[in-house]
Amino acid sequence: MTGRLTFDAIVVGAGPAGVAAALTMARGGLNVIIIERGRFAGAKNLFGGVFYTHALADVLPDYWERKPPFERPVTEQGYWMLSPDSAIRVMHKSERYLKEPADAYTVLRARFDPWFAEQAAAAGALLITRTTVTRLLKDERGRVIGVDTDRPDGQVYAPVVIIAEGVNNLLTQQAGLIASDLPPKYVALAVKEYINLPAKELQTRFGLSGPREGVAIDVFGDVTLGLPGTGFIYTDQSGISIGVGMLLDEFVTHRLRPYEVLERFKNHPVVRPYLEGGEVREYGAHLIPEMGYDRMPKLAGDGVMVAGDAAGMVDALHREGTNLAITAGKMAGETALAAHQAGDFSAAFLSRYRRKLEGTFVLQDMKQYRRMTDFLESSPQFMGTYVNLLNEAALRYFTAHGIPKRTMEHEILKMVRERRSFTGVAWDMLKLMRAMRG
Amino acid sequence: MSNRNNGQTAPVADIKLPHVNIDDLIVCLKYYVDEENAHIRIKDQAICAACNPKPCLAFCPAHVFETDRHGRMMVSYQACVECGSCRIACPFRNVDWRLPRGGHGVAYKYG
Repeated sequence: MTGRLTFDAIVVGAGPAGVAAALTMARGGLNVIIIERGRFAGAKNLFGGVFYTHALADVLPDYWERKPPFERPVTEQGYWMLSPDSAIRVMHKSERYLKEPADAYTVLRARFDPWFAEQAAAAGALLITRTTVTRLLKDERGRVIGVDTDRPDGQVYAPVVIIAEGVNNLLTQQAGLIASDLPPKYVALAVKEYINLPAKELQTRFGLSGPREGVAIDVFGDVTLGLPGTGFIYTDQSGISIGVGMLLDEFVTHRLRPYEVLERFKNHPVVRPYLEGGEVREYGAHLIPEMGYDRMPKLAGDGVMVAGDAAGMVDALHREGTNLAITAGKMAGETALAAHQAGDFSAAFLSRYRRKLEGTFVLQDMKQYRRMTDFLESSPQFMGTYVNLLNEAALRYFTAHGIPKRTMEHEILKMVRERRSFTGVAWDMLKLMRAMRG
Repeated sequence: MSNRNNGQTAPVADIKLPHVNIDDLIVCLKYYVDEENAHIRIKDQAICAACNPKPCLAFCPAHVFETDRHGRMMVSYQACVECGSCRIACPFRNVDWRLPRGGHGVAYKYG
């Protein structure tokens, strides 16, 4: 009979939240194990592609010297608003984005996550891959005391477990931190293709002067058939990440095949020329938790904390997630360190984690945008109607018809009225403002 | 026809989506298939048979679900990208969805 395999802390999942937690704890002197079900960290991970460096700098101040595998800095960003045959493009490009390291980079997760996990390993955390955590181990009082894995004799014990399992929050449910699966109206399904294109060609198409420039475009309107959701086009080192995401409920209700919605986006007359001749190297899909602040799980229980997608830490409006995850992972890690010092792993003690997070952008932003998902859900035609309207108005505005401009202005106003009453517009704007202001 | 619908939003049902052969997309993915264990199972075939809309046939991004000639729901779990949509969105919660065993399933090269 051998002794139990025991650590100071167990982290489930080697994504940004889990690795940030493990790194923080390992540096604080704890004996930490990270258990990852993929063949390597990042094997199961996929996102649109923009990574914000501020949170990384907080956990790894010298990250730049460690040569993170970023794709391109984001030096131009903005929105495309598509109607079926047109687009209004609002882009912001600035010399001030041209600094190193930049605030934001495009990233491919199967390249980035292994690098990040290596940093935790270098700090002393033990990274175990190809191992699925099947359940939490609890004592007779229901306190989490470890995890069971699909390895033979695969039980691992620790006084604290940090769940960073991602959007499929099975362990979070088992821990009793959230009651059930998220309903499909609070989860977005995104599909993405990575399309290879020679760097030179890519730079020419997007007007980039070299590898130290890159573009991040978020797309609204016709990309999602006017339904609530967004598309994106991000430039990687020698390729394009292109994708589309909508609430899962919309795919169900309208019987849409996600990859066909994406194909339609790729064929839009404004989009197609950018992709011409590119080769699809990978396709993938991932869920995004968009339940918002009010439906997040409890963040701590006895012997357990949860961080990242598993906890619904996403700001969909600003396409942020990995930075929330890293910051939360760090706070969970710091809380675990404090718990070890105090010798107290109770839910009451670990609730410090939430209080720490309340002092950061993570929970403050989530609180501010708490109504966003409900707003989009309650105004499903919002994006389509207004985006099409803007495109129509632009067409009138930019065309010389040989008619007096005053008449043109009246025509545009009439067009607005035909599609939405003025009180309707006012009401929509009010609702949008409420959703933005929190 | 420069002005397809005069700026009105077409009802989604009227929009014709381009056909995509999902196999052309799946083929560029790397999988380590667990031949001994299906990580997705239908709990009760009778429920699928009685399910009229069968939304999983459409929303699954890897087209894992397909009915055979006899109307039985077939699950090509080998093509699954483990997004979890079917677990959440099956109207009858009739999908038994687990994580594949460690090291198995999809392995993204880019992500």
